[in-house]
Amino acid sequence: MSRSDPRTRATWRWGGAIAALLIVQSLVVAGLFWVLANGSHRRMAERGFVRDCRDLAAIAAPARPAGVRAMLERDIHRDRFLALFAADGALIEGNIARLPLAGITAHGSVVAEVVTTELPGKTRDIARLVICAMPDGSRLVTGVDLDDAEEALRVVERSLAIALIPAILLAIGFGLAAGRRAARQVDAVRTLTARIVAGDLAERLPVGTDPDSFGLLCAHINAMLDRLQMLVTEVRGVGDDIAHQLRTPLTRLRARVERGLREADTRAGFEAVADAALAEIDTLLGIVAALLRIRELEDHARRSRFAAVDLARLVEDACELHRPTAEDRGIDLTCEIAPVAPVEGDASLLMEAVSNLIDNAMKFGPANGRVLLSLRHAGGAVVVTVADDGPGVPRAERSLVTQRFYRGRQDCEGAGLGLSLVNAIADLHGFTLAFADVGSAVSLVAPARG
Amino acid sequence: MTHILLIEDDAGTAHEIMLELRANGYAVTHHGLAGEGFVAAQDDGVDLLIVDRQLPDGEGLDLIARLRAEGRRTPALVLSALGSLDDRVRGLRAGGDDYLPKPFALIELVARVEALLRRPNETRDTRLIVGPLDLDLLAGTATRSGRALDLLPRELKLLDYLVRRPDRIITRSMLLRDVWGYTFEPNSNVVDVHMGRLRRKVDGEGEPQLIRNVRGQGYVFDVPV
Repeated sequence: MSRSDPRTRATWRWGGAIAALLIVQSLVVAGLFWVLANGSHRRMAERGFVRDCRDLAAIAAPARPAGVRAMLERDIHRDRFLALFAADGALIEGNIARLPLAGITAHGSVVAEVVTTELPGKTRDIARLVICAMPDGSRLVTGVDLDDAEEALRVVERSLAIALIPAILLAIGFGLAAGRRAARQVDAVRTLTARIVAGDLAERLPVGTDPDSFGLLCAHINAMLDRLQMLVTEVRGVGDDIAHQLRTPLTRLRARVERGLREADTRAGFEAVADAALAEIDTLLGIVAALLRIRELEDHARRSRFAAVDLARLVEDACELHRPTAEDRGIDLTCEIAPVAPVEGDASLLMEAVSNLIDNAMKFGPANGRVLLSLRHAGGAVVVTVADDGPGVPRAERSLVTQRFYRGRQDCEGAGLGLSLVNAIADLHGFTLAFADVGSAVSLVAPARG
Repeated sequence: MTHILLIEDDAGTAHEIMLELRANGYAVTHHGLAGEGFVAAQDDGVDLLIVDRQLPDGEGLDLIARLRAEGRRTPALVLSALGSLDDRVRGLRAGGDDYLPKPFALIELVARVEALLRRPNETRDTRLIVGPLDLDLLAGTATRSGRALDLLPRELKLLDYLVRRPDRIITRSMLLRDVWGYTFEPNSNVVDVHMGRLRRKVDGEGEPQLIRNVRGQGYVFDVPV
């Protein structure tokens, strides 16, 4: 893995971030410890100073140097500084040579350098001390050597520093592991999506039984893939269908033109061939146009012409438009129109749908039969029904007839696109296409509004 | 001579359209780019524009919109492979006067061109007398040489539409659109059946044929001499 590999970068970034976090945390702990330990040492010392000042102030002035000496002799650790100076600054008794430069303090203490007289091998030392005034004007310096306290703090610091090293190593290690885990998960998705891009749409990402947020993301991607696979399958199917449906008439057209050209020897003969070819081509173009229209309708792209449609007028127009055709075929076309509220829609599309249904009824119903076109209310819905006295669409085929190119009967002309188109139009309007349970009737159901 | 400006980038389509229009007696100038077409459309001699929507250097509808913005009212027929009806609505809103989706029959194109060039005399005369025909739209009656034609209301409307557009091809979808008021390509011959009945009523035995069927395309009302 090269440095520029984004996965490596992600790993290091994760590792670094976690390590930095742990280092900061260790430093904060060490700092807090130091501040608290230091504070507690100082408070203890200051309580001692207050006690010294009070006790020695209570002793009569002539006995005070002896008191100082006695206290110094009790200090077996040799870490105390105690000295009594006269008002002019001369040492009366104690283990400090000179009055420190610090002034008299009522509260708290100061850290100052003192000149020691009784420490072996040392003439100067750092001490925490206070200077308090005695009743006779002399001054008492009382303090503690900071060496011990400093030593203790250094031990703390050292142990913290030593503890920090494994902590950092641990942090880096953990960070790297976490980073690599994330990178591995991303990697799994990446390889899989690469395979999917290469064409294997059946691949799915692994999702555990108790998925974390990454697992949920994988589940979402899987759902997306399911939908994609379905669409691709559908598109492939439609593409195959189109190729198949166009091949037959194209073959027929080719044969007809070929034979016609061979046999025609007059202008009229050639014209007849060309006319027949034109008619075939128009049929083919009609299929292509119908497919494009169905697709367009399914995309729900066409709502710009939606307006209030008077279905009563539309059904009446449909009846009027088809009546001469019905009469020519000996079919009794009847219309029953109940007044209904206007629906929102595209009049031309709805007319096309109704027109298709009437065509189907006349085509598939029995010769000299009846076709009933009705408009009525059913519950809150408005229903346009086209019924004939034929056998109707067999129950098993009902889900198939709205598929493109499905033809219930091969003995009738048509490309098998009519009901697909009607279904797409119904869908666009939010209507449903319903088949009657008994007899032969197809309905467009416009649900109640609101 | 009527001058048509064709703005279409596909050379093959343009060639076919030009041949067809010239065969019908129109002068045609062709441009393949929107820019050139826009300049050419400034000519007052242009009677009609035929504009493809997808041009290499722009959208045909923009070109029409710019011409309309300049106040130029030259009628425009929009051609497009974008045949969806939403596109058609946009095409007409942009200032196009008619919209013809590709692929189209050349005869349909010529019919639309004629319809645009010679907008029917919109006199809302209620009495039309053309040759032997006498239409009384108020009374809803029609006679040919004094013989009552006994037309249904729809048949009278069809005849009215044809009589107002003599010598021009009227296609099925034009009839469905203008006489019934619905825009779609009927997948059966419902309109032809209506026209067949009308023709049988208008053109009686031994009378000269007034309504002529152009096979596979539509109908022409021949003005009686």
